[in-house]
Order: sequence, then C-alpha cells, then structure tokens
Amino acid sequence: MSMPALSSHDASEITSADAEAQAGFAAAARLAAWRRRLLPLAAVIALLVLWELGVMIFKIRPFIAPAPTAVAMTLYGKLGMLLGNLLPTAIEAVAGFLIGNSAAILLATTFVYQRTAEEALFPIAVMFHTIPVMAYAPILVLLLGNGLEAKVAIAALICFFPTLVNMTRGLRSVSSQQMELMRILSATPSEIFFKLRLKSSLPYLFSALKIASATSVIGAIVGEWIGATTGIGALIIQATYNFDSPLLYATIVVGSAFSAAFFAVISWLERYFLKWNVAQTA
Amino acid sequence: MSIMSQTTVLDRTPVRDESLAVRLQDVTVRFPTERGVVTALERVSLTIPSGGFLTLLGPSGCGKSTLLRVVSDLIPATSGQVEVLGTTAAAARARRDIGFVFQDASLLAWRTALENVQLPLEVGGRSKRGGARDARELLALVGLTGWENAYPHELSGGMRQRVAIARALINDPKLLLMDEPFGALDEIKRDRLNEELLRVWEETGATILFVTHSIYEAAFLGQQVMLMAARPGRVREIVPVDLPSPRRVALRETPQFIALAAHLRTVLEAC
Ligand SMILES: Nc1ncnc2c1ncn2[C@@H]1O[C@H](COP(=O)(O)OP(=O)(O)OP(=O)(O)O)[C@@H](O)[C@H]1O
Ligand SMILES: [Mg+2]
Repeated sequence: MSMPALSSHDASEITSADAEAQAGFAAAARLAAWRRRLLPLAAVIALLVLWELGVMIFKIRPFIAPAPTAVAMTLYGKLGMLLGNLLPTAIEAVAGFLIGNSAAILLATTFVYQRTAEEALFPIAVMFHTIPVMAYAPILVLLLGNGLEAKVAIAALICFFPTLVNMTRGLRSVSSQQMELMRILSATPSEIFFKLRLKSSLPYLFSALKIASATSVIGAIVGEWIGATTGIGALIIQATYNFDSPLLYATIVVGSAFSAAFFAVISWLERYFLKWNVAQTA
Repeated sequence: MSIMSQTTVLDRTPVRDESLAVRLQDVTVRFPTERGVVTALERVSLTIPSGGFLTLLGPSGCGKSTLLRVVSDLIPATSGQVEVLGTTAAAARARRDIGFVFQDASLLAWRTALENVQLPLEVGGRSKRGGARDARELLALVGLTGWENAYPHELSGGMRQRVAIARALINDPKLLLMDEPFGALDEIKRDRLNEELLRVWEETGATILFVTHSIYEAAFLGQQVMLMAARPGRVREIVPVDLPSPRRVALRETPQFIALAAHLRTVLEAC
C-alpha cells in the first residue's frame, strides 16, 4: 500500500516486456498443442500407408487382411447398413451404461450408510466380478431371451463393478475435519450427503464412468455374439463366417468410433462438472 | 489494513462485558481405545472472559484439540462442567455462536472462495440467526478482495486459511476456536496473519481460543497463555500477558516480550 509508485517509464517498459514474454509463451503453447494433435495423426497415416504397401508387396489375400483402401471403400459403400447395425448396439450400450451405473451409485450410497450391507454384499459383488463376461453372457441370454434385454443386462453388469468400487471410495473421501465442520454448522444428514459426500465423490465417479463408457459397448457386442441378428456384434460374427474381412474391419471401425464418441461425451461432461478439480485443469 | 490497525486503539477493559465466554470446571475426557483408556484431558478448569483472547500452548498430544472439540460440542466431556456463552456447548453451537478454524483450511474444493465463505448460510437451518455478515465484506476484511471467484487450488496456503477465517466469521460468532490455523505456513506469512488476526479480533469483538505450537505466536496473540502438559493432558499454568496494544511484529524484539517468551519456554520444557 505504501509502496512507491513506479515511474511511468518503468511501468511501460515492464508491460511491453511482459506482453512480449506472454506472446512468446502463447506461441510456444500453440505449437505444443498442434504437435500433440498432429504427431499421433501423422503416426496413424504412416501406419496405414505401411499396411497398404505391405498388403500390395506381399500380395496378401483380402480375406486374411484387407488393405486400408478396401476397408475404406466398404465403409463408404455400406455406411447405411453399418449405421443401421450400430443403432441397436448403441441403444444397448447406453441403456446398460445408465442402468449399471445408477445401480452401482445407489448401492455405493447404501454401503456408505450401512456398513452391514457392505459387509454382506461386497464379497458377492467381487465374486461376480471375477466371472468373465464370456461366461455369464450365455446365462443371461438364456434367462432374458434373445432380445434387447439380455444385451442391456450384460452391458449393465460389466459397468457395475468399477463404478461401485470407485463411488464407494469417493463417497468416503471426505476428511474428518470437513465432517467436523459440517457438524459445527449443524448440517443435516442430507446436507452432508449432497453438499459434501456427493461432490467429493465426483472425480472418482467420472473416472469410473469413463471406463464404463468403453466397457458398456464391449458388453453389448459380446451379448450380440451369443444370439442376435442385428448389431455390431452380429455383423462381426457374420463377416467372419463369410470371410468378408473388409466388412469385418469396417464394422470394427464403426464400433470403435462409437466407443470413442461415447468416451468423449463423458470426458466433456467431466470437464464441465469438475472445473474446480486440480487434476482436471492442470 | 494499515489504516484499520492504526486507528482502532481499543482500551478493552472497561468496554467489555464482564460475563464469561467459556467456563470449564474439572473437565475430564477419556477415550476408550484398543490399548486401554486414554485420558486426553484430566480435570481441566479454565475461564475466558467475554472478548478475551486465550492461547493454548503445549506439547503434541496434551489434549489441545480435544479441548476445542469439547468447547464446540464435537465430543462430550466424560465428566466436569462445560459452559459456553452462558449456556451448554450444544446450545451455543446450535445458535451459531461458535466459529471453528481448522489446521488445514478444510475448504470445499468445488466452491469458490466466496461460496466457501457462504457455506454456513446454506446448511443447518439457516434461519436460526439473522445476523449474518456479508461474505464479500468478510473477504475484504481478510485481505482477499478480487479473489472471490478463485477456487481453493488457485489460492496459496495462507490465502486458504484467510478464507477459512472469513467462513468462521460469517455468522458473526461470539466465540472463535482456532486449532493451529497457521501451523502449515512459513514464518513471514504467519507473522502477517497474526497481526491481521488481532485486527479482526478487535474489529469483531469475538472471544478467541487459539491453539498453537509456537511460543512466540502464543505470547504475541494472547491476553492469556494457557500452558498444558501431556499424559494426561492437564493445565500447567495460565500466564497473563501484559503487552501494549495494538501489537505489531516489532514487539517481539522488546525485552518485555523476550522475558515472557523465556518464561513460557521454561514452563514448557518442564512439562
Ligand atoms: N478420537 C480419539 N480416540 C482416541 N484417542 C484420542 C482421540 N482423540 C484424541 N485422542 C488422544 O487424546 C490425546 C490428546 O489428543 P489431541 O488431539 O487433543 O492432542 P493435541 O494437543 O491437539 O496434539 P497436537 O498438538 O499433536 O495436535 C492424544 O493422546 C490422542 O491420541
Ligand atoms: Mg491438535
């Protein structure tokens, strides 16, 4: 407050030097950002070119490994059919994602308030988690039939466990001092839950949701392998039996693109809701 | 801030209410643990006059935090009487008359500085007390104008502690409990916050009970310094501090202060 004011000469000198440094810093940051985007893209293009050349030079037959151009032509030519098959898979994955994660969040909340429930049920959850999806998928198809339900159930189950574990940990991640603060403020149990526990759990929840966004698609596809006439999973099986490798690869590309988009949506939501999180902004 | 501390030269003895802010009589706290019963406090008695500033000094584990928890109704006393602001600790807490500042600022990471200060207004039956202070004014009081919308991770340790102090003041508490609030800060920051805390104390007229490990902090801030001994936690000595007001950091160089600090050290080493 009592600091001598800088002379205007000094001040302007400092601002211009500052501006220069800032501009330099911004340019470096832009360059780094472009590098981050362009380098992986260049690597992917290089790999595709190598693959194309490899197929040409070694005269690999298309049903063993199709050239990228063949895959691209199939993608283009059969896009309508591919997207038509993506739709059921997407519905199953998203529905399974919503159901599995909601159930996991509810159960985690119960665990936090009812230790007995955790002690009784958590070992069962672990046991189920150790069963590979390929093993319980047929059981679910037998139980729930050949329709959408079985696939949704498989996708939901595959999401369930990671979210349960993370959410339980997240809801417990409040410090004892934060709890004491709430007690001093005479906060009610629901205020403690919504204003403290739930908010503290969000970073944990979102890292689980990002995993689930990928695994729910896997769950839906595995469900379709067992018995389905449409969907990405069914298409994969058909293309394999018909030795239609370009179609197989194109199907995989479409499925992966959907997975990536799903993941991107969750990541965007995470950035939106966790602006305050150091790990996110850093 | 310099204007404030130069103009408010308060003569506090005649103005203040004579009633007691805190009265503990033979308070004992025991915790049952796996290794047997731990006596955290053994027959502790103390009184703090309304508007007073008592600092608590003692080795680790002597029950300083436990004492603050008893006064703020976070844990019950095993035996003895606890009177806070003329009533029970629970009633004083429910009336929002107690503010608490923890060692780590315990800010909620998803709330901006301003929203953290406003938290007490949103929970626990906000209508119980009308006399809430303005959050922006409080942030200004602790020197954080312009930082209202910053998230905790964007603030330094000292700034976070200031936010915590502003949050504790929002209900205009009559009693402010502080558990090593500046323990994690470097000495320069701690000195500045000490001076500011005295200014806030004079401005608000609150009673303050302040826990510290630092002899200098205890002597610089307190009207009284209570020295405690460990195992079991008990009162060793209560030393009145007769230093001129307003106190500035330079006070620490005076012979009077040095003698006081030396005395506190002697008692503490005997604990
Ligand atoms: N909830 C509890 N359960 C069991 N023992 C406890 C509990 N809280 C405190 N104690 C014990 O009571 C004693 C006093 O603890 P307290 O935290 O009050 O000490 P302190 O003076 O604040 O120490 P420090 O300076 O390290 O913060 C310690 O021996 C501690 O282990
Ligand atoms: Mg302590």
